[in-house]
Amino acid sequence: MRATKGAARNRKKKRIFHAAKGFVGGRRRLLKSAKETLLRAGVYAFRDRRAKKRAFRRLFITRLTAAAEMRGLRYSRLVHGLKLAKVGLDRKSLSELAIYDPKVFDQVVALVQTELAKHDAAVLARQKAKSA
Amino acid sequence: MNCYQAKTGELAKHWYVIDATGLVVGRLAAQIAPILMGKHRPTYTPHVDTGDYVIVTNVDKVVFTGEKWRQKTYQRYSGYPGGQREEAAWKLFQRRPERILELAIERMMPKSKLGRHMMDKLKLFVGPDHPHQAQQPIVLEAYSGRPAAAGIQLPPLPKGLLAHAAAVAGATAAESEADA
Repeated sequence: MRATKGAARNRKKKRIFHAAKGFVGGRRRLLKSAKETLLRAGVYAFRDRRAKKRAFRRLFITRLTAAAEMRGLRYSRLVHGLKLAKVGLDRKSLSELAIYDPKVFDQVVALVQTELAKHDAAVLARQKAKSA
Repeated sequence: MNCYQAKTGELAKHWYVIDATGLVVGRLAAQIAPILMGKHRPTYTPHVDTGDYVIVTNVDKVVFTGEKWRQKTYQRYSGYPGGQREEAAWKLFQRRPERILELAIERMMPKSKLGRHMMDKLKLFVGPDHPHQAQQPIVLEAYSGRPAAAGIQLPPLPKGLLAHAAAVAGATAAESEADA
C-alpha cells in the first residue's frame, strides 16, 4: 500500500498555526510565512533571554546611582568602596535594599564611606611620600 | 527576574520648584530632566513614569555661556522641500522665552510616548509667580555637574508604599553633610 501524508501534514500544519496565533496578517495564515516567523521568534527569544540579564544589570546600576547620589556618593565610588569594604552583595540585592530597606542601605553606605576615607588617606599619604 | 517594578500611580508624586534666575540653560536642564524621568530615586522603572513635578519660575532669566544667544541656532523642518527653518537663540527667546529651557530639557528626555508624557510634569513660568502653591512644592537648590560632587540637597523619598523611607531622608541628609 502507498504511504500517504495527509493526516500527518494536517497535524503538523495545525501545530504551526496554533503557535502562530496573534501574529500579524499572513504571518498567521500562510504556512510558509508562519514557519519563518516562528523560527525567527525562537532566535529572538534565545538571544533576549541572555540580553535580559544585561538589561536588568543596567537597571540596577541606574537605581544604585540614584541611591548613592542621594547620599552624596557617586556610583563609581560606591562600587569601589564596596570592594574595599569587602561587601559581597550584588547590584540587584543592593538596589532592592535601597528601595525596601533604606536604613540598612544607609548602614552599607556608612561602611563604604569609612573604608573610602581610609583608602583616600592612604593614597594621599603615598603621594606625599613620593613627592617628598 | 524578580525585582522591584513600580506600578503606575503607586508612588506619590512630589512637586519641586526652582528659580531659574541666572542659571545656565543646559546645566539646569541636566538637573531637571532626571527628576522628570524619576532617575533621582532608586525606584526608577523604565516603563513607568516615576518622576516628580518640577515648576520653574523666572525661565526668562536663564543664561547661556559664551556667545550662544547670538551663535546658537534652532532648526526646524516643515516637511516640505526647502522647508528647513533656522532661528537664532535670541530671536526664539524674544518670541517665546520659556521655549529655550523647554527645548533643552525636551532634548534630554527619552524620545518616546512616555518621554513626551513625562514632559507634562514640567511647568515653566515667565516671572517669579506660579499657580501651584496648593501642591506645596519643595524648593530645589541649583547645582551643576554630578550632584554628589556638589554636595547634593536631598529630595525626600516617595511616600505611599514606601512611607518608612521618608523618615530616613532627614537622617541621611545630616550624614552626607557631615561627610562634606
